Amino acid sequence: MSLAVANYVRNLFLLLAGKRLLSPQVAVFYVTARCNLNCVYCEDFGLSRSAEAPPELSLDEARHVLRVLRSGTDRLILTGGEPLLYPGIDALVAAARELGFAITLTTNSLLLPQHEVILPHLDRLIVSLDAIDPQAWGPTIGMTPAVAETLIDRIRTYALHQGEWGYQMIANCVLSPEALSSAQSVLAFCVQCGMLASFSPQAVRHWPRADLFVSPAYQETISWLLAQKRAGAPVLGSVRYLETVRSFRPFSCYPTLVPRVMSDGDLAYPCRPFEKERSAQGGRPCNLLRVGTWQEALQSARDAYGLPPRMCNTCYQQCYIEPSLMQAHPLSLLWERIRYRASRRGGLSSFVPG
Amino acid sequence: MSTLLLQSEGESPVPIVVVGAGIAGLSAALHLAEREVQTLVLEADPQFCGGRVAAGETVEVGDWHFCQDHGVHAVWSPYRNLLATLTRHQIRPMLVPAQEESWVYRRRGRIRRAAVGSAIRYSWLPAPFHYLNLFLRPDFLRALTLQDWLSLPLVWYGLAMAIGIDPLREDQPMEGWVLDDLMRGWSPALRAFFIGLARNGLSAQANEIPLSGFIAFLRFYTLLRRDSWAFSYLPDDGGTSLVDPLVARVQALGGAIVLGTRVTHLELIPEGWALHWTHEGTRGQVRTSRIILATDAPATAQILDNSPDLAVQAGGLYWPRGLETAVVRLWFDRSPHVGPEAGVFSGNWTPDNFFWLHRIQDPYVHWHRATGGSALEAHIYGPPELLAEPDRKLLLRTITDVEFAFPELRGHRIQQAMRRNPSSHTLFGLGPADRHLGTVTPWPGLFCCGDWVRHPSPAFFMERACVTGIAAANAVLEAQGLPTWPLLEGLPPEPLAGGIERLMHQGRRILRRKKGR
Repeated sequence: MSLAVANYVRNLFLLLAGKRLLSPQVAVFYVTARCNLNCVYCEDFGLSRSAEAPPELSLDEARHVLRVLRSGTDRLILTGGEPLLYPGIDALVAAARELGFAITLTTNSLLLPQHEVILPHLDRLIVSLDAIDPQAWGPTIGMTPAVAETLIDRIRTYALHQGEWGYQMIANCVLSPEALSSAQSVLAFCVQCGMLASFSPQAVRHWPRADLFVSPAYQETISWLLAQKRAGAPVLGSVRYLETVRSFRPFSCYPTLVPRVMSDGDLAYPCRPFEKERSAQGGRPCNLLRVGTWQEALQSARDAYGLPPRMCNTCYQQCYIEPSLMQAHPLSLLWERIRYRASRRGGLSSFVPG
Repeated sequence: MSTLLLQSEGESPVPIVVVGAGIAGLSAALHLAEREVQTLVLEADPQFCGGRVAAGETVEVGDWHFCQDHGVHAVWSPYRNLLATLTRHQIRPMLVPAQEESWVYRRRGRIRRAAVGSAIRYSWLPAPFHYLNLFLRPDFLRALTLQDWLSLPLVWYGLAMAIGIDPLREDQPMEGWVLDDLMRGWSPALRAFFIGLARNGLSAQANEIPLSGFIAFLRFYTLLRRDSWAFSYLPDDGGTSLVDPLVARVQALGGAIVLGTRVTHLELIPEGWALHWTHEGTRGQVRTSRIILATDAPATAQILDNSPDLAVQAGGLYWPRGLETAVVRLWFDRSPHVGPEAGVFSGNWTPDNFFWLHRIQDPYVHWHRATGGSALEAHIYGPPELLAEPDRKLLLRTITDVEFAFPELRGHRIQQAMRRNPSSHTLFGLGPADRHLGTVTPWPGLFCCGDWVRHPSPAFFMERACVTGIAAANAVLEAQGLPTWPLLEGLPPEPLAGGIERLMHQGRRILRRKKGR
């Protein structure tokens, strides 16, 4: 039994006992804060902010971070910024594989041809794809339509290699009020390329963009995605998740299911939104370079900021909703796996689109 | 804030004047300013905007300074319009999610404590049966006696009634009925539990709370959905967290706000209205085409009563009561034993609830981390004879009760402060449709908003203030031919609660038909 599955079962008992500090399903490591695109909806890192990015860890230090994370879970997401900008990314992916991680890489795919060596190590490859019309998508990613066209070609190419290298490719589409109409074409593209498609509402300062709250078109789009999923389309994201983001209803969140480690090795606690806000409720209580195990890191975070909140009604980010819903509703997870092929392939309890 | 704007003779009227810079007035002004409608906001308070969410005087504890505001405020998950408004303007604060609330029940000198908040909002049973989860909590069961178990059917009858009647949507004022009528025959502990809930929500005694208000309150906050009871605290005082950013946005969008200007009366004039005001002993008037009265119910009643053109009609209107409250803050040099960060007192206590501020608000959290101390806020909602007692006596009673509830803190108090809030807190009730003012009033060009105003929305307090503020702004925008703002509906009842609601409605329809009504 993998550590993530054991954690899932252990967490069920912890939940029954009313605990909130759950064991991780998947660890997210931001290997770099630099990026080579400037997506309009991105609030984390971008090309225009790359110069201010803190220095990254050396390969040895990054390996230590991986060892600490491995003591907590065996599922890992490498993200950024653009993780392929990390100088030692090829070696880091190989090291993660040696440690026994199931690896997901979140990338914009621009640099993939230079790093094909990592592809056989990957279990999942998540790429951004918000539109398949380069004219429309170029401005969204802050690039020319030609760059957007290159990206779409790359995605198409690497989708063809899924069987050969054994990874599952997932396209993540951010639903902004301006790009709702793209959802249909993105899904059609994913069907054509044998990829899964995930859809996340745009966030502004961690919160769903207010226009989406009052947008009938947004609700219709999510309803359409639900119908497509029920009809067998490769929509990744559980029915519960899609229903939650359709009405933005509150949900019980367990952020320690998806711990995030920043590019300098700091742990973001209890979750990225609270850490980013730097209020008294959260922050970066511990650097993983200074601890030996995940339990030590979690304990020092808890000592600094207490238990994580359970229903903050603040962010509706898929990375927190999906694992939380699937952990708290095991029957839903079971049903998703039985009923939907896309959910079986996607691994919903550790699904984080980046 | 702007200095007083004086309107010169012959100058054209101000398009819109909003009277009152509480959440309702600021919401109205914000939505008007966003549509580029020139808006002037007049606020009576000389120092602070925000009404009941305003900042307050400073209390010093050693080298630390704390704001003694109106009291801790929570933003509940059903406050969707308020949250969406703050989100749209990117001024939503990072709220502090509530973890747990306890029920502290004193009977015959003994204290029982039960953690109830999480049992309700995270219940595994669907609404309206989610309360049954309380009966799986040993600490809750210990507070009950045989008498309580025997009176449970009466409690369920009361809850079923609350599901079957929606006073706001159905316009059911239930005149003459108070909460006491609903709880007749209930056992002491269950009565104390619901009275504690009602007093915390509506800040009044069971024999004062209109039944329509209580049912609407119960439906909005807890009865129809488990997650309605999920809420977060403001991370700082209301002024810092909410009001200052709202004021800044209104001003950035071109709205003007004038403090210390009390509107005394209104006068109908050919161009619209003349508002008569006083400001630092001087009197004056502003001519305007349209007015939004965003004052609390007592202040609105007074303005209309003083207005010769309106007084006769206003005299016959229904006015929800305004309630006085008192807020006590205590600082200790050590922390209490671990427990919920907030709670409700019921039984024989002076304060009605408590909040451990060092676990909620950022300035207190920082102080706690630096000193190891703790700070508690307690609210006193009456009865009137209790609130009539001198400050010293009321403070002493509260300290005695707090130290009784948390004996580990005896002898560790280092500072105390008390603030009395004027009778502006709404005791919500629904009046008859023709006598309870809505956002659109019987007078042309005069609109109202506030948490006491009639509106079909089920919302309460800050959300109701925001909803009616947007609705009043919409009425003005519509009159000017400008696009209005959408109002967000609340989430629907959970399927089981919704099904029971429909059945109850059907049953009532059949009964009415049988009675020939």
